[in-house]
Amino acid sequence: MSQSWRKWTRILLAGPGAVLVALVVMAGMPLWLPGGAAGVDNLVLPLVLVPLVLVPLIWAALFFHACLDRRLSRVAAIAATLFLFHAGLVAHKLLVQRSAFEEHRS
Amino acid sequence: MIHLKKDETKLMVAVHGWSGIVLGLLLYAVIFTGMAAVFAEEIGIWSAGHVETRSAFERPMDGSIRRLAAQTPAKYHEGVDLFEIGDHNLGAFFHRHETDPDGTLVSRGIYYQLDRKGDVAKALHGTGEEVFGPRNDDALSSFLVDTHVRLHVPNPWGLLLTGIVGLVMLVAAISGLLIHRHLFKDIFTLRRSASPVLVDRDRHSVAGTWSLPFAFILAFTGSFFSFFGTIGVPIVAMAAFGGDVQALNDAVFGNPGRPDPRPATMGNMDRIAADAIRRTGEVPTFITIENFGRADAKVTSFHPPKAGDIEPVTLLYDGAQAKFLHTKPSIGTQPSAGGTLAAIMAPMHFGNFAGMLSKAVWFALGFAMCYVTFTGLRLWLARRREDMRSLEWLDRTVMVVGFGLPFALVCSAAAFLIAMPLGSATYWTPAAFLIASGVAILGGTTAPSVAALGRALQFATGLVLAGLVPLRWISGGPGWGRAIEAGQPIIAALDLAFLLAGIWMVWRAAALPARRLPFPARPVPAE
Repeated sequence: MSQSWRKWTRILLAGPGAVLVALVVMAGMPLWLPGGAAGVDNLVLPLVLVPLVLVPLIWAALFFHACLDRRLSRVAAIAATLFLFHAGLVAHKLLVQRSAFEEHRS
Repeated sequence: MIHLKKDETKLMVAVHGWSGIVLGLLLYAVIFTGMAAVFAEEIGIWSAGHVETRSAFERPMDGSIRRLAAQTPAKYHEGVDLFEIGDHNLGAFFHRHETDPDGTLVSRGIYYQLDRKGDVAKALHGTGEEVFGPRNDDALSSFLVDTHVRLHVPNPWGLLLTGIVGLVMLVAAISGLLIHRHLFKDIFTLRRSASPVLVDRDRHSVAGTWSLPFAFILAFTGSFFSFFGTIGVPIVAMAAFGGDVQALNDAVFGNPGRPDPRPATMGNMDRIAADAIRRTGEVPTFITIENFGRADAKVTSFHPPKAGDIEPVTLLYDGAQAKFLHTKPSIGTQPSAGGTLAAIMAPMHFGNFAGMLSKAVWFALGFAMCYVTFTGLRLWLARRREDMRSLEWLDRTVMVVGFGLPFALVCSAAAFLIAMPLGSATYWTPAAFLIASGVAILGGTTAPSVAALGRALQFATGLVLAGLVPLRWISGGPGWGRAIEAGQPIIAALDLAFLLAGIWMVWRAAALPARRLPFPARPVPAE
């Protein structure tokens, strides 16, 4: 891989890539976080902690990881794993909702 | 401490510098106005000469609310928000929740502004977005807060912009931490006899490192407020509630129970307010009534944290019987980790959890952050000065924003004091800010040097700042004796603070040539 290609891959992973992964993690978190005593921790934690702590921290962690890790493949693998896991959860939830809606309609 | 390799440190220095340069001026504007907005309530009292000390919730309001309800269409009885406006007068927003054609959830209804006697001074019809805005007597504090929250850019873009600025602050803080090889040594190092550049760098490092925890708190809580409604709610509602934002709001903020739409006479609101004040020891900041005039009416009162606590208090009442039900978490129906975290966001961001003391600390740390941002920009330029003469325009821009923003803000305060008695403060407060900004920009293009520009702006800011005090008196504001007698010593305290700060700025600007130029003469050696 050429030096220029590596540089631009790194910039893409640190910039738009990190933002995309952080947003998908926020959407997917309510689906696996425990509900807590009030039954809202799984909603509130993403709302509070993701934009407040987790999204900036996930984004910052991915950003600094992309800047500092010499192995670009490891940067991409971690970002892809987080993205695929949470995107999969969201897609599954939406499919279930859609099929329930169609069943209800029929 | 953290030991990065040489090339990694170099990269982090670049990230630290560029993160500041790209959005540093916006960051400076957001932090500076945020620092002033810590005292927005006090500035509102000072500027409008408010001398009433008894809250609207401590005075009889039940009769006024019943009168308003009788003249308001029943469809707007779904929700009633009660809050204070002006000199402890009552504001009431009778509304219902609707979904706009574009899918946005809105509150539509009638917003009544009451006068001291409880009569309607003004009634505005429309959505919350349309009816809530600056009024003649709070135009200055509203302008400050609006600049800080969204830089006057329309929603949601303004909130997104300030949220992104918060993230930039986070990057600058983390990279700043990473490039310090000797953190604990550096935070105590101030070389007074070194070259001006090293002195500036030491001051930047010391102020930045000491205020680092504060920078994290501000970045986290600020981005929470910016992204909560604009990104957080829609995304989580989409993933967990199939896009139903109302269902998410009901789950997080609602009071679950079986609907009972039978008409019922509302309980006495004065009794509820008095009971809430007795239980919490604090006057409510806000009261909401759900389903006004129905058997299932609920009243929620929101209070500041109790002494020694950081979490605000929320009480729930049966509206029809004016009976206390229970203390309610701000979020959800039972205490939870998420609810507590959500509740402490506002006190952590506004610094209002321990009265004037915490506000003063937040103000001081905000000032340190402004200093760090401004000196950081100046150091970035200093390092490139000899190589990049073409950056003169950026140097002037930094000076125009750095000292022009305070100048424009004090000019807008002066305009407010003149225009408020004439009833045109909502126009002249932002207009004066724009005119003063134009003057600063013009000065930036015509000043013989950056140093002269900085000196002139500081001198003018000090002059206007000190002049605010006589201007307030001339425009009919209460004198110190009357303010203290009425229980508003904050008016005299702010007068004194503005007078001293103004005199100090004038003296400093006048003495500047004898000391040293604010721009370093030689580039700083790389670490």
